Amino acid sequence: MTVASIKNLTVKYGNFTALNDFSCEIAEGCTGLLGPNGAGKTTLIKTLLGFVKPTSGSGTVLDLDIAHQGKQIRQKIGLMPEQDCHIPGMSAVQFVAYAGELAGMPPEQAIRRAHEVLEYCGLGEARYRNVETYSTGMKQRIKLAQALVHGPKLLLLDEPTNGLDPAGREDMLELVRSVSHGKGVNVLVSSHLLPDIERVCDRVVVVMGGRLRAQGAISDMKKLEGFPVDVELREASTSFVEAIESRGVAITGPKVTTYRLQAPGLPSDVAAMVSEVAQSVGAQVRGFAVAERSLEDAFLEALK
Amino acid sequence: MPSPIADLSYRNYDGPLEPPVFRWWAIARASMQLTLKKRGFWAWAVGSGYWYFFLVIGFYFVDNFVPPSMDINGKNPIFQQLIWKDQFLNAFSISQLLLFILALMLGAGSIANDNRAKALLVYLSKPCSKLDYVIGKWFGIFLPITVATLIPTVFFYIYCAMTYRSYGFLSDDPTLGLRLLAMCFIPGIFHASVALGVSSLFDQGRLAGATYAGMYFIPLFVTKVMQFAHMGTLDQTGPTPKTIDFLFYCSMDGLQIALAKNILHTRGSPLFLSLSGPTSRNPMSNAIVPEPNGLIFTGIFLLVCGACLALAWSRVRAVEVVG
Repeated sequence: MTVASIKNLTVKYGNFTALNDFSCEIAEGCTGLLGPNGAGKTTLIKTLLGFVKPTSGSGTVLDLDIAHQGKQIRQKIGLMPEQDCHIPGMSAVQFVAYAGELAGMPPEQAIRRAHEVLEYCGLGEARYRNVETYSTGMKQRIKLAQALVHGPKLLLLDEPTNGLDPAGREDMLELVRSVSHGKGVNVLVSSHLLPDIERVCDRVVVVMGGRLRAQGAISDMKKLEGFPVDVELREASTSFVEAIESRGVAITGPKVTTYRLQAPGLPSDVAAMVSEVAQSVGAQVRGFAVAERSLEDAFLEALK
Repeated sequence: MPSPIADLSYRNYDGPLEPPVFRWWAIARASMQLTLKKRGFWAWAVGSGYWYFFLVIGFYFVDNFVPPSMDINGKNPIFQQLIWKDQFLNAFSISQLLLFILALMLGAGSIANDNRAKALLVYLSKPCSKLDYVIGKWFGIFLPITVATLIPTVFFYIYCAMTYRSYGFLSDDPTLGLRLLAMCFIPGIFHASVALGVSSLFDQGRLAGATYAGMYFIPLFVTKVMQFAHMGTLDQTGPTPKTIDFLFYCSMDGLQIALAKNILHTRGSPLFLSLSGPTSRNPMSNAIVPEPNGLIFTGIFLLVCGACLALAWSRVRAVEVVG
């Protein structure tokens, strides 16, 4: 099941082509939108919101046409913009309730829901304070609250951890993760911070130069060819390396005390072999895992 | 301190959502709610009808303290000479400054402060269009100003209708009620449109307010100087050139007064004129600038309002909501 489907989409600003024959499917769950500056991420979000009319191509968001049903789409979407934003002169609860009313909630439902969402976002104690007096972290939270108030089916988060200290970043990522897993809210996170994406998203869409470079599950993208394994020893051991190499297994490392083994066969076969070799040379195995590359490596490879 | 809500996990909202139409009313309502919380609004709104209050007091004294010996056919001679619609026109003219201050308070920051706080990100990411936003903001200024104009006018109309029917209040112009109703919409429409246009040019409410005040006071000063210069030449022979008459109305106040004169269909009379003697014997009556061409001034009024709204419309850009 997909929440958004884009087919051969081309978006131009004058002579500049921001999205060029772009096609992608955004699946249910939490998806990261990755790409360097000027890649077309923002244009993609604008197009999904119905602000930009595509030059050609088509697309749907929650089964609604992006070219003609912008308002209906925005009623089902919550946007947490990158920049700080609020309505001047309003307290947090007024602001969030007002956002709900703008989305179509009846006023009495909007105010009830505003209290609930502010509690969820950790602003319960500060809900009667004017938003203009909020700290950066609180402003990030209230942006999330106003995006969530009307119960969107799809949440667009633009750099949700911008300007947050480590603790605030942890809290925000935890909020995003909890809302996107098992709560029926699909999330599209646009971020430059790969660790953030890796932490909360299940899938990624990589964009560059207005074209789709890669898309899929993060776990699939991080997979390496074959079944390389990482073996962590108590301490570096040359005899272990020699014994492994004598069995025709390619070995690299150590990275501190971890070796990467590229052996034919399944990881379970390699595990048995490693255990046997370690016993024979007296090396102590502390860890064994199927090796994978980092998301950063996968991202850089997709951009090549 | 633990939260008073026991279950803090996220719960989805599955309650009713109204169709994404008429969002402008939610925006107008929120603007007005913020307006009503300002004490300054109440002070200026109540103050804008002060001339009607003075009139009621003045009429009370005239009614009770003019000696019966001066009565003509048992009627007070001063009330017999009154041009009733001119009383409304005078009150309307006098309230202009206070209505402008109201407009400054409500309108100057309406879009400028939103620009500063990047509130468009909130509005346009919801199912609101540019049109909803501009109309909502416009109504948020228009309604309070119109109500502030309408209430004292209606109050004074009812007071006069109940008290001075025998002096021709209702029979002099049977359509006066409808004309007054139309007149009361002028300041709301004008200030809401112009304030919105000016406000959309800035991202600081104070700068927008200063600009709006400049646009109000500079032409007002020039036209007032012209009026006094005109009064100084009254005893000279020859009629006042039509251009001078036309330029007299070329300020924010003047434009609205011109329209009000056309709607009420009167050239107006100086303050206290009717209480001091017949029009023909008062030299001040010559200083009144005649009723201008209604078609031209309605056209100018609509052009100014339309241009300001178009300006506001063009400055609200949905594309800049993201990025």
